[in-house]
Amino acid sequence: MNEFFGYHRPDGQVGVRNHLLILSGTVYANSVVERVAAGVAGAIPITHALGRCQVAPDLRLTRRFLSGTAANPNVGAVIIIDHFEEAGCTAEDIAADVAPTGKLIATVNIRGGGGYIAAVEQGTRIAADFARQLSLQKRAAAPLAKLLFGTECGTSDTTAGLASNPANGLAAERIIAAGGRAMMAECTEWMGCEHWLTERAANSAVAEAIVAGVQHMEARALASGEDIRGSQPTGDNMAGGLTTIEEKSMGAVKKLGPSPIVEFLEIAEAPTLDEPGNYVMYGPGMGAESISSMAAAGCQILTFCTGGGHTANHPIMPTIKVTGNRQSYELMNDTVDVDVSGVFFDEITLDEAGDTVFAEVLRVANGYLTKSEALRDFNSFAIHRIGPSI
Amino acid sequence: MKTIFVIDASDNVATVVVEPVQRGDAVRTNGRISDRQLTALDDIAYGHKIALQPIERGATVRKYGLSIGRATCEIQAGEHVHTHNVESERGRGDLGNNTAKGEAR
Repeated sequence: MNEFFGYHRPDGQVGVRNHLLILSGTVYANSVVERVAAGVAGAIPITHALGRCQVAPDLRLTRRFLSGTAANPNVGAVIIIDHFEEAGCTAEDIAADVAPTGKLIATVNIRGGGGYIAAVEQGTRIAADFARQLSLQKRAAAPLAKLLFGTECGTSDTTAGLASNPANGLAAERIIAAGGRAMMAECTEWMGCEHWLTERAANSAVAEAIVAGVQHMEARALASGEDIRGSQPTGDNMAGGLTTIEEKSMGAVKKLGPSPIVEFLEIAEAPTLDEPGNYVMYGPGMGAESISSMAAAGCQILTFCTGGGHTANHPIMPTIKVTGNRQSYELMNDTVDVDVSGVFFDEITLDEAGDTVFAEVLRVANGYLTKSEALRDFNSFAIHRIGPSI
Repeated sequence: MKTIFVIDASDNVATVVVEPVQRGDAVRTNGRISDRQLTALDDIAYGHKIALQPIERGATVRKYGLSIGRATCEIQAGEHVHTHNVESERGRGDLGNNTAKGEAR
């Protein structure tokens, strides 16, 4: 159980999928991206609302998200489609960022290529060729040390902190024990239990960054005029029985186990360390932005713990939904993958729930489709932003 | 008897996660971590919390063995514990020491 079968990339990384990604450089290329992806076997479109008229820090963030996503080892080939040229975030800039991975890369420029219809044609020709090249690649064994495992929670209720999240924390510990790395973001949700994290920080710099990250997020919320008590826990969290941000946070951070936190990452930033352990990332609690930031950091697989049930699924990073709420599992059975509610009915122990999550992660890493992948419900790509459009 | 779920032995609240509790119900904690019986004083919905012991106004409400806030009034054993009688001590602007300015990140 200490290995998985994946796609070995030229740079030494290993993907759990071999996706052909059709990536939009700006909002104005979205329709071309969708048409190209719809016409080619296995192609996955990623579109978004950004990449134009953004303040400079936001444009850099957009580029980091787009380049990181394209560089993710689950992507075997990428075509970046741009409508014209946004200085600092062109298709060529993104292609240059991704080039060190050694994967198949192409760019299409709508204006430069002769317009919309020509871009669809050009993109489709390249995509069809890439799809066939990818189809020749085979899975091969890789150690779990090659796995960067992300974890997230959304639509939390009280069962999340009592079952799915601690079960997930146990699974994360097994991955780390086998040499892998585990990652959690959503620093909004560390508020009130920072000490739980700082106690495990590998050094004082990591501990200070954790506290500063939470304070920064708090300050941003206050600067917007929002006392964060009003928005976190969210209305559906409170209806589900969560009373305070501390209660929600403690449940949330149980997604990781007690292993040391070896590195603090800025949003969508890839780890610089290879060592096994926990990695934590600055970012909002907003699910789609959060899981997109972890995919851009290179996570190949993610568990999404949910009390109320969820559809969240990242386009190129398999997103395994885990719930401890039996009713949610029944209501959302077509998108929620794993039910660990048995801990409440004395059917299974928490350790057994952890084994179940770990086994599902390995199964999906080896190629088993998540429920949302089977439905092609690629809903959760979103780019974090700081400032206004300009 | 209905079951309520406790995750840490030092907690003063338990969670209703098996079936909803009605006022007057006799309830019992899931035996693995704690084994107690009490009577519910309120209707308590699925996912919500019940006090396992009296909690004084201002006292710490404990779940996972840690503070999840403080009681805003005296809470009786068996009472529903939620936003009407517990408040956060974190992430709020009215307790001071929140002077950091937001900056681009």
